[in-house]
Amino acid sequence: MFKFFSSSNVYSLIQKLINFINSIFFLILIIGLTFALHLSPPDYVQGDSVRIMYVHVPAAWLALACFSSITFLSILNFIFKIRNFYFINKSIAPIGLLFTCLAIITGSLWGQPTWGTWWVWDARLTSMFVLMLFYVFYILAFKLLRKEELIIKVSSIIAIIGSINIPIIKYSVEWWTTLHQPASIKIIGSSSIHPAMLLPLLVMLLVFLLYGALIFLMKYKTEIIRIKKKNLKRL
Amino acid sequence: MIIKFITMNGHGIYVWFSFSIVFISCAVFYLKTRKTLRKYENDFLVDLQNLPAEEKNKALGTSKVAQQILAANSKMN
Repeated sequence: MFKFFSSSNVYSLIQKLINFINSIFFLILIIGLTFALHLSPPDYVQGDSVRIMYVHVPAAWLALACFSSITFLSILNFIFKIRNFYFINKSIAPIGLLFTCLAIITGSLWGQPTWGTWWVWDARLTSMFVLMLFYVFYILAFKLLRKEELIIKVSSIIAIIGSINIPIIKYSVEWWTTLHQPASIKIIGSSSIHPAMLLPLLVMLLVFLLYGALIFLMKYKTEIIRIKKKNLKRL
Repeated sequence: MIIKFITMNGHGIYVWFSFSIVFISCAVFYLKTRKTLRKYENDFLVDLQNLPAEEKNKALGTSKVAQQILAANSKMN
């Protein structure tokens, strides 16, 4: 079992996965864009500006998912000292930052026609901004610190403190009065979104997931090569 | 019909701008990541080629990753 997770096996698996994602990505992207920009109906209140949802929501969901994964792996790394988690987190963080920035920017572009303003410091928007800051601090820990042990400690602390913000983001629309609408899609309970809008949203989520996975695999592959390069110098 | 599709009843500028920003930033990020990966692969190969023959054979014999990078590079060339 552990032999399977050796760097050579992981490396060849990564290459196969990258090839697989590359082969299906553009087809799913075209399907997603066709639905999002043309086939899905406009909203009866928001009109066509609702189409921004198809990039805003997947970006926001994945930004939260990336930070949750980082926190989970940081806690495990803190306890079990598994070096691989350090490289996985290092590879996930920039993807999370990208998605957070995209969620904020597209949210702002959606806010102008819907609320009449680009930005308000309400609970949801502010907590997303705080998430972006945590991502920046987390990545800076990798860039500015030199000792790997210190990086693990500092980055884990940032991730664990930052994880307090995750439920705040999720429940901010219920706990406080905000301009941001409450969640339309619920895992438990019935969703208020129409299936004609839910399907494109799920396809676009798949597009974002595949893109995130592709970037993660490429970054993780780079990390493996970097380690092997160091080992080469030791020969 | 095309005009309606582009203008989206006055919301087109927000929608197209949102999708463009997402598309451009994702494309730039992808290209930057790929460039870094290629750079590391090439640097690794240069280091491998610069090793004395005995150490190079030892590295290729023990590291499957080194074999795979070398194989992928020769395929590309």
